[in-house]
Amino acid sequence: MLRLSEIGESVRIAVDALRINLMRSMLTTAGIVVGVVLVVVMGWTIKGLDAVWEQTIGIIGRDMLYIDKWNWAGGGNWRKTRSRKDITLREALMLKERMESAEMVIPMARNWGGSIKLNNRTVNSSIQGTTYEYGNTPAGVTIEGRWFSEVEDLQATRVAVVGYGIAKSLFEDIEPVGQTIKVNGHPFRVIGVVEKRGFLFMDFIDNQVFVPLSAFQSAYGFYGRSFSVAVKAGNDRLLDIVRDEAIGHMRDIRNVPPGEDDDFSINEMEAFDAQAKTIRTTIWMVGMGLTVLAFIVGSIGIMNIMFVSVTERTKEIGVRKAIGARRASVLLQFLIESALLCVLGALIALPISQIIVASARAILISGLEWDWVSVTSPVIPIDLLLIAISVSAIVGVAAGFLPAQRAARLDPVEALRFD
Amino acid sequence: MSDAIIDIRHIAKVYEMGNEEVHALRDVSLTVGANEYIALMGPSGSGKSTLMNMLGCLDTPSSGTYLFNGQSVGDMSDDDLAEIRNQEIGFVFQTFNLLPRASALQNVELPLVYSGAPRSERSRRAEDALTRVGLADRIDHRPNELSGGQRQRVAIARALVTQPSIILADEPTGNLDSKTGQDIMALFDELWRSGNTVILVTHEEEIARHAQRIIRLRDGLVESDQPNEFHATPL
Ligand SMILES: Nc1ncnc2c1ncn2[C@@H]1O[C@H](COP(=O)(O)OP(=O)(O)OP(=O)(O)O)[C@@H](O)[C@H]1O
Ligand SMILES: [Mg+2]
Repeated sequence: MLRLSEIGESVRIAVDALRINLMRSMLTTAGIVVGVVLVVVMGWTIKGLDAVWEQTIGIIGRDMLYIDKWNWAGGGNWRKTRSRKDITLREALMLKERMESAEMVIPMARNWGGSIKLNNRTVNSSIQGTTYEYGNTPAGVTIEGRWFSEVEDLQATRVAVVGYGIAKSLFEDIEPVGQTIKVNGHPFRVIGVVEKRGFLFMDFIDNQVFVPLSAFQSAYGFYGRSFSVAVKAGNDRLLDIVRDEAIGHMRDIRNVPPGEDDDFSINEMEAFDAQAKTIRTTIWMVGMGLTVLAFIVGSIGIMNIMFVSVTERTKEIGVRKAIGARRASVLLQFLIESALLCVLGALIALPISQIIVASARAILISGLEWDWVSVTSPVIPIDLLLIAISVSAIVGVAAGFLPAQRAARLDPVEALRFD
Repeated sequence: MSDAIIDIRHIAKVYEMGNEEVHALRDVSLTVGANEYIALMGPSGSGKSTLMNMLGCLDTPSSGTYLFNGQSVGDMSDDDLAEIRNQEIGFVFQTFNLLPRASALQNVELPLVYSGAPRSERSRRAEDALTRVGLADRIDHRPNELSGGQRQRVAIARALVTQPSIILADEPTGNLDSKTGQDIMALFDELWRSGNTVILVTHEEEIARHAQRIIRLRDGLVESDQPNEFHATPL
């Protein structure tokens, strides 16, 4: 049964005590400051990562399936995967013919180790041969120029749509549309630039060049190349149906006997979710470890200074007890002081964290040119502030408990004799 | 003696000092009724402060019984004792024991903080108490801005602000010059006349003369307990 009047008095005393020893108080909170900075910066990083990830997934589309010889997320037995039969154009076209539930089925041919040359500058890229329909998927949205048309597709016109990354690294200040580049030695006219889609470890998808499948074939041939098939379900909820249908057809087309494993992989955005989750968990664990360490060191400091504070104020405690302060009153007084000390640490830490977050963001965006970092929040989100302050208060109460208990248990007569 | 505020029987207090035992009080019995005015005297080390702490529920006896307003103090919890100290007892110390960083008003309000009185009532009652000790014009001063006599007045105001059953003062004039000491004694006389019960410890016969009854201790025993023959209700 704590009384309101005592809480008010305790806060007043605590603020007073901290004010008298302001310098000492601020130094004591160093550990807490570090802990709070770590918590906040880590929280911001994870939130930023989530935002970046959501954006990536949103652009690529959760309703896309990529049927491929390879499992993009790694996984599975590599030898077994390698020994799979290639997916042929004929199989891809058969699948396209049979699929009923999907919005789009697009055969694609890929050359991972392509080189793109403009004048005397060369960059590496993967070259994708695909159809005009790919321009209607979220992955084929252009920010400049356009996607190739059905006619260009049919006529095997040597036109190319370049990924955002290529546009940046190869063309720099030059307007890409209208330029002629050499794709593995063959001249192609650039007609469009794809919107930026990849972030972080997904960067590779911006380093692609898209050409009509027919042009790809006439330039490089299809021999010894496995095709993949991009399937757009058209709707997240249809994904399961579309996947089942695609698997059924593919097994039938490739004559996989019942009971045997699929001899192809279905790649979905979810495969990358696992990767994003791993990064997230790693940041979280490292950050948490450091934070806990900082808070432990911090709370030892707080506990120490609170013991000093109790000793310095033994006489005062005696006086308070003599005029009727109960144990709980004294305990509360020191717990509040200790909690406020830590909250002071949090208040010092917050502007520091904000500066770190803002400068890290600025360096990543303009220094490293990681523009995708701009989807992260420039300010520390309010819920992180509240978490930081409450965690500090809790740490303060925990660190102050033993000193406060010593104060509460002081014998009044002994305490009054102290000077 | 059912109307006694204080009723102690065969109280002893032993301190363990290593393997030595210090008998601060050996066997003390006494009763104190309402509106008594008592001076506690005796040589240094005779146990006066020990007895006062006991009476003030700051300390507990090693043996014997203590009834405060008919209730056995020995059976009380720490919190019960704190409540009695808060509500029923006003303590005045030789060294004032004010909180240095608090104003006179805040010092006097403190017991009311622990009794849970609302803010407005606290300041009103504290102001009344300070007015009673003649410090109405010093309420915002801090202890270091007050003279010794004024500090002791603040301490007395703090002791009486909860309207306790009894006021205990351990050498209240011990740190004051004799003129100021007499002023403080006039204040105790006034409190007593208006119905308070007062017990004070002193070494000076001149101070003890203000009391109605004088108890002398020696070696932890009551040596004498007599009415003050010189006592006359001051004019
Ligand atoms: N906490 C303690 N530990 C050990 N001995 C103590 C303690 N408190 C008091 N004593 C002893 O008990 C005896 C009585 O002490 P007390 O303080 O009651 O004397 P007093 O009459 O108030 O003396 P003075 O006039 O000097 O204030 C003394 O011998 C003292 O040394
Ligand atoms: Mg004494």
